[in-house]
Amino acid sequence: MTDPAPASAAPPAVTFRGKKGIVLESLLLASVALFFLNFNPLGALAVGHRYSQDLVYAWFGHQGWLYPRIPSNQQRASPERPRVVVMLIDDAALALRGAHWPVSLDFHAQMLAELEVLKPRAIMLDFLLMDAASPASTCNFLSEAARLRDGGAATYVAVTRPDELDGLDAGDCRDGAGHALKVRDVLRPVSVRLQVDSTDFVNRRYPFEDRTDEQAPGTGLASAAVRMYCDAHTDPAGCSERLRRGRAAGAGFELAWSPAGDEFNQRWSQARCDAIPSPTHAIIFKKALPAETLCPPIATLFATSLLDPSEDSSLGLRNEELFDLMEGSFVFVGGNFRGAGDLMTTPLHTRLPGVYYHAVALDNLFAFDGHPKVRKEFRSLRIRYYLFDLGVLWLLAAIYLWRQNWASGGQITAPFALSASARAWIADLVGNLPTTLWVVSAAVALLCLAAFPVLQSIGVVVVVLALVGLEVRIGTQRDLADRLKSFVLYVAALVLSLAVVALAIWVGYRWLSLPPVDWVGYLSFAAVGFFVAHTAILEFARRIDAIHGAHRAPKASS
Amino acid sequence: MRALALAFAMALSFVGTVRAADPPADVCVMLNNRVLGPRTENRPLPLLKGDVEHGFTPACSVAWNALSPKNDALPVEGCFRGSLLQIPNDSACGTGTGKLWVGTRWVVTSADLAKGTERAAVCQQLETGAWAGTRAFSFECKPRARDLDTGATAPAGSQGRAADTRAVSAAAVPAPAAAPSKSDTPAAPNEPK
Repeated sequence: MTDPAPASAAPPAVTFRGKKGIVLESLLLASVALFFLNFNPLGALAVGHRYSQDLVYAWFGHQGWLYPRIPSNQQRASPERPRVVVMLIDDAALALRGAHWPVSLDFHAQMLAELEVLKPRAIMLDFLLMDAASPASTCNFLSEAARLRDGGAATYVAVTRPDELDGLDAGDCRDGAGHALKVRDVLRPVSVRLQVDSTDFVNRRYPFEDRTDEQAPGTGLASAAVRMYCDAHTDPAGCSERLRRGRAAGAGFELAWSPAGDEFNQRWSQARCDAIPSPTHAIIFKKALPAETLCPPIATLFATSLLDPSEDSSLGLRNEELFDLMEGSFVFVGGNFRGAGDLMTTPLHTRLPGVYYHAVALDNLFAFDGHPKVRKEFRSLRIRYYLFDLGVLWLLAAIYLWRQNWASGGQITAPFALSASARAWIADLVGNLPTTLWVVSAAVALLCLAAFPVLQSIGVVVVVLALVGLEVRIGTQRDLADRLKSFVLYVAALVLSLAVVALAIWVGYRWLSLPPVDWVGYLSFAAVGFFVAHTAILEFARRIDAIHGAHRAPKASS
Repeated sequence: MRALALAFAMALSFVGTVRAADPPADVCVMLNNRVLGPRTENRPLPLLKGDVEHGFTPACSVAWNALSPKNDALPVEGCFRGSLLQIPNDSACGTGTGKLWVGTRWVVTSADLAKGTERAAVCQQLETGAWAGTRAFSFECKPRARDLDTGATAPAGSQGRAADTRAVSAAAVPAPAAAPSKSDTPAAPNEPK
């Protein structure tokens, strides 16, 4: 990285002087930086930002500031921060009750009866009830759901359209008190549609509702997690309205994700549930994201463990750990069938059964107190958030210009630029060779570096060491002292910039609920040098300012 | 090529046969097994009606003392795949239910006491592969290759269903099960709580 050449050739500026000059110049520089930060003509930049967000979650998603999860030492969840649990049904669980795929209403009814003992706060069945069932089976199912409802637990059922449950025929079904049981009274339909980022098909976003472009916001079928969260809220209607109001049809919130598995899952997982990918390891070995999620971040109970104690005798002689886990929790019942196809691609680029999509979304809503992270593009009055970006970049640009002015004012060498004596030494060395020879040699060397990535690391190390050695060998004491001053100045500016970025991230994430994709780009500006690429605009602006001054001078004199 | 496909299909059906022919669980093979009491934190026990041929459906939920007013142990009259136990009661949920069933998760049996207080869980895995038409193809769960914080790994097949070759992992809970307090322990037959 080098600083730009001094603007000695430019005509004297008029407005771009002193403090006012720095303010205006930094504003111009920040505006250009903001433009390039969001310049996305073919979508390539967006992919990079999303992947950067995935890396943020992969490396830091276990930290409380990024994804506040229930502490592992907390046995029973509180009403304010209830636990979300996934219960997986597989072929073995079906076999324990003599059932088989597709999962019948009779089996679902049995599961509801078993879960009723555990007093969950809500149950969501991530199964489409589209297979034919007898009125008696349907009635049994509704009766169980009604018993849960009477006990204070709602039953949510996945549907693909609002009227899908109307097809359930329960005949003349009545509860124990003789009241007629109707589907709409005991089951709450919810959308289970998945959203993908179109460029890489990763399920990073969770939709607020399922609706068409023609429907007004708030009139679609609420997504499972959104409805379950708002139903548990003190003001369900207000909560639903707040989350869905003014959103575009395809709007969704970003799923914060943790690479660390839930501690409860360690009992059945062969992989460690506390394994966190290391950024250093990733940089060195190029394994940026985990290959598999063997221990999911949501507590998971296999239905076989519930139906057969010999599958899991660690839940306590009195089932105390089972009650600790499930009482007051939101239970998502999903399938874990080989080849079923109901899978999601997590932001860590691994796959999980689809039910985790909804479970993590609900956990996000609880974790962020009903204010999940929503991208700027899905916000109303989005210009506000870009203004915030501009403010942050303005500060960063001001720091950059302050450092640059200080350095050039004191005639200090740029920290990473070659000194004049070193340039002269290299020019003398290369000048002894025929021009054709050194050009061809350079081309061959660069070709090899391009073709063999391993040479790039080696080449960088060799070149840096050689240049540092050269500077130390031929530079004077004064040169080295200047270099050291410049380096200290650079580090100071970097630290200050990082502090600004940290503050911006905190405000953006905590208070503006912006996901990492909307602020991870700040980090590239913290390394001060990023602005160098755009300083040409300042030279241009200074020339215009000088011309403006020249035009104004005759008018003033006349 | 056809012979190869036939052999593969036979292998798959063999795997499925082995799975279906698993010997019954411990709780089902023990003679004179008895239900000693509930383990539902004093909540009603979910009961099922039905049979092996026609399937099971929920019948009702009742307190333990509705099934055993004198807190007697109940003889197990039937057992289904280690998950359901049939008890000699056909009236707790009204008439016409036949003899009722209760989930093994919710009761303590003499078979449970005979097994002791081993705390272990069967290894599980998430089905995230993209397979086509291989539902019956069963992979073994590999035993954990390293010790957890809490100790050693149990050998494969040392727990769970007798013919189940899946590994069993020690649960990652810090301490073994404490002996239940008297008030929580299911009372022995004919003994007041």
